[in-house]
Amino acid sequence: MNAVGACSHCLLPIGRIGLQRDVNGEAHQFCCYGCCLAYQVHHGEADEPEAAALLIRLGVGAFLAMSIMLFSLLLYSGTFGVADGWLVHRIHWLLWALATPLIVILGGPFIAGAWQAAIGLRVSSDTLVSIGALAAYGYSGYQVAQGSGIVYFDTATMVLILFTLGRYLEAQGRVRAMRSLAPMLAAERANVRVVADGIDAIRPVHTVQPGTILRIFPGERIAIDGMVIDGHSDCDEAIITGQSETQLKAPGALVHAGSINGHGQIWVRASVAGTDTRWIQISRLVRDALARKSLLGSTIDSAAAIFIPFVLLLAAGTVWFWSTRGPFEVALLIGLAVLVVACPCSLGLAAPLTTAIGIGQAARRGILIRGGGVLEQLARIRGVAFDKTGTLTQGKLQPVYVVTDDTTEKDLLHCATALASGSEHSIARAIAEQGRVNKISVLPAMEIRAHPGAGVTGQIDGVLCAMGSRVFMKALGWTIPEKLSAMPEAPRYTLVYIGWGGRVHGMLALNDTTLPEAKGVIKALHEHGVETLLLSGDRKGPVADVASALGVSTWQAELTPEGKVRALREWAGKRRGSIAMVGDGLNDGPVLASAAVGIAVGTATDLAKESADITLPTGGLGSLPWLVQLAKRVRKSILANLAWALSYNAVALMLAVTGLLKPVVAAGLMFGSSVLVVMRSLRAGHESASIEAHRRIPAEASAAHIYST
Amino acid sequence: MNQYFLIFLAGLAGSAHCVGMCGGFACALGSDPRGSVATVRRHLIYNLGRFSTYCFLGAVAGSLGLLLVGHGGEVTAASLTQRLLAVVSGLLMVFIGLRFFGFFRRFSRSAVDSSGNFLVSALRTLLKAPGAVAPLAFGVLNGFLPCPLVYAFAAQAAGSGGALPGVVTMAAFGLGTFPAMLMMGGVGGWVRQGFHQSRIRTVQVNFPRGRSTVVRFDWRRYSVRMAGGFIVMLGITTFVRGLLPMTAHLHSL
Repeated sequence: MNAVGACSHCLLPIGRIGLQRDVNGEAHQFCCYGCCLAYQVHHGEADEPEAAALLIRLGVGAFLAMSIMLFSLLLYSGTFGVADGWLVHRIHWLLWALATPLIVILGGPFIAGAWQAAIGLRVSSDTLVSIGALAAYGYSGYQVAQGSGIVYFDTATMVLILFTLGRYLEAQGRVRAMRSLAPMLAAERANVRVVADGIDAIRPVHTVQPGTILRIFPGERIAIDGMVIDGHSDCDEAIITGQSETQLKAPGALVHAGSINGHGQIWVRASVAGTDTRWIQISRLVRDALARKSLLGSTIDSAAAIFIPFVLLLAAGTVWFWSTRGPFEVALLIGLAVLVVACPCSLGLAAPLTTAIGIGQAARRGILIRGGGVLEQLARIRGVAFDKTGTLTQGKLQPVYVVTDDTTEKDLLHCATALASGSEHSIARAIAEQGRVNKISVLPAMEIRAHPGAGVTGQIDGVLCAMGSRVFMKALGWTIPEKLSAMPEAPRYTLVYIGWGGRVHGMLALNDTTLPEAKGVIKALHEHGVETLLLSGDRKGPVADVASALGVSTWQAELTPEGKVRALREWAGKRRGSIAMVGDGLNDGPVLASAAVGIAVGTATDLAKESADITLPTGGLGSLPWLVQLAKRVRKSILANLAWALSYNAVALMLAVTGLLKPVVAAGLMFGSSVLVVMRSLRAGHESASIEAHRRIPAEASAAHIYST
Repeated sequence: MNQYFLIFLAGLAGSAHCVGMCGGFACALGSDPRGSVATVRRHLIYNLGRFSTYCFLGAVAGSLGLLLVGHGGEVTAASLTQRLLAVVSGLLMVFIGLRFFGFFRRFSRSAVDSSGNFLVSALRTLLKAPGAVAPLAFGVLNGFLPCPLVYAFAAQAAGSGGALPGVVTMAAFGLGTFPAMLMMGGVGGWVRQGFHQSRIRTVQVNFPRGRSTVVRFDWRRYSVRMAGGFIVMLGITTFVRGLLPMTAHLHSL
């Protein structure tokens, strides 16, 4: 059910030490004891022995701990005088009796973790906790047996209680921070309402076959790709397409798994099997992305691994130092405080949490990122190379301008659209497509005849109409008005002449236009100090044209796929920082793979094939500057987290070594640093959400403006 | 001892409130299939868990009170702090007591809602868990559920001037709630099964409906008011103690 490597509870990558448990009869992996604890508490149903057993253990542990604290408080508050010495001694024995099962119950998981690490010849934060608690317990037991009056069972108890509580709270904080990722990962666990014989039945999504009819209530998340067969609604498809506007759904419309149904109830016929939806593919990709450790993350982890033995040595040194200057029990307590306060939990949390939040935020906009390492690379990019056709341009011809003579633009476009509808030529298809998009209603053309390589003729309302090249019009013997014939041939445009009644009435110029948001994207990148490059296999004229229109600094044309790779390497060699390549993924596979960050537009399958590191949704080029900003923010946040955690721990450690901290206060302070990191990450998440409003570069003048008349 | 007996009585009367809130838990804990002895044990263990939480809260409140006050003399700043604490806890108790009469209803809603996801889901799981120790864990966590009565007596414990008086205060209160809670649980089950079949259900559901429930409802209302009276009285005593410049009663009562 769960991909290897991501924690079932908080979705963060599992480090070298993972925990495995069966919950609800499914195998789950957890990154830490806290997640294991919290997951079982929150997902355990009443009939589940494991969750109940865990709670019973916690409850009994709390009972023992409270009893220990109660008697310790009575002892500390001076309730018993010198005359009650025999009673005090009895209470010490009672405390020992209470503390022994407590060490087993609450300390067990920590000791097990420490043991697991010890087998691998390592020390973990569990080692620190275990040594701390066991030292306090062992020393107190020895004191009781000796009949001495100084016991620290309450210290052992509080350390264990606070660490258990801290782990739980930390896990819950992480889950809160990761909440934005939940819809991306829920695909495999989704249920659907199958309609069969007039009865609704709830089934798991993987049982759905193509053709199954499903009912979807308002507000539900749609779990299957399919077609609406009844009902009307509007759907929020942001996590699939990245579009923030809701899409109207009427019978015949396609719905995508992962989108949220709006106000209406709809019936949907599944078009694919429940295991093949795009949502499930995205879900798997995001899961894999989370499980990949980033470079920074693994560096921090190894640093933390060195840190722990250092703390052990420091604690031992502290005990030795203070024991030469005072009573041993004071030295022991100071040593305990050092052990407990130095737990590097927050260090391990700094990178993965922030990275995962970043991946989640991108995924919510339909942007898929292959892992934390990719975000780190993206934060350091100094240049972005673009492919032209299909990346910065529409990738297909579009009418750019129109010239009329003795008629209106409207009539001309009507005629062109009607004739184009009857032809299969690519230019005709482009014209017909634009007519459809702009909802031009036409009278049907009759007797349409295509003249290959020249043009098309047909009867509209009984009048012979023609559309084609200038040569075709001359061949027909139609006159071309002065206004049109006087215009020079524009090499970058495809010109189509349209006429009726024996003369040409106008001309349509077509071009592969640049995307409306492209210029803004390039401008925004330049503002962020990122250089741009245009690499294309196209002829020099159009490439230079697009480059100058968009303001791209440098360009290279007439490149083979290998040539693109070479050009990119050369460009990358000249500057510091990494280089990203944006392409369509189909033709640009090699060059995407050779860039530090390969960004494919519109094809998520490339992510799976590993040719691309990031995929933008179709039409998602406008999100690119936002994404670069996100990566920079994530990196900044990780470094800031690290700085906070390190300075917090350093100050706390200094206080502990100088004997200013009691172990119990130290345990409280320790998970303060984890809480700090979680809170900071949460806040960073909120901040990114607030800049969502202007995440896309607004489209400039649309190519379709000529249809607006 | 006089005062602790008063607290015990207040707990006893106040347990009418417990019947409404925690009685449902005791009922749901139900009877043990292994017979009435096992049932009695089950409910005693549950109440022991609750009791230990109360005692712990008492010890903590008492120590915190002491920490705030110190072992001050008659006219020191510490003594003033202690008197201030008594005034505050007295006012709190009067406020909580008056709520039993139906005043300040607006403040009453949030308590259980805010009791936290963890406690509620944990209690739900534990309720159905098998085993002899599950009721102990259940009782321990149950004791931490937000409850105005517990707050009131914890405040009293804080003003009691030490860990031991704090423990005894809360213990007296806890013992006071025993009879009603044991009755609500499986211990009283066989009595009720015989005589008051219809009433049990209404208590379990916690929404009184129908004729037989009206009787019960009235009974509950009167005892709730009685409890409220006790708590208001206790609150006023504490309050006055804080106002009047005498400290001797603190340990002698």
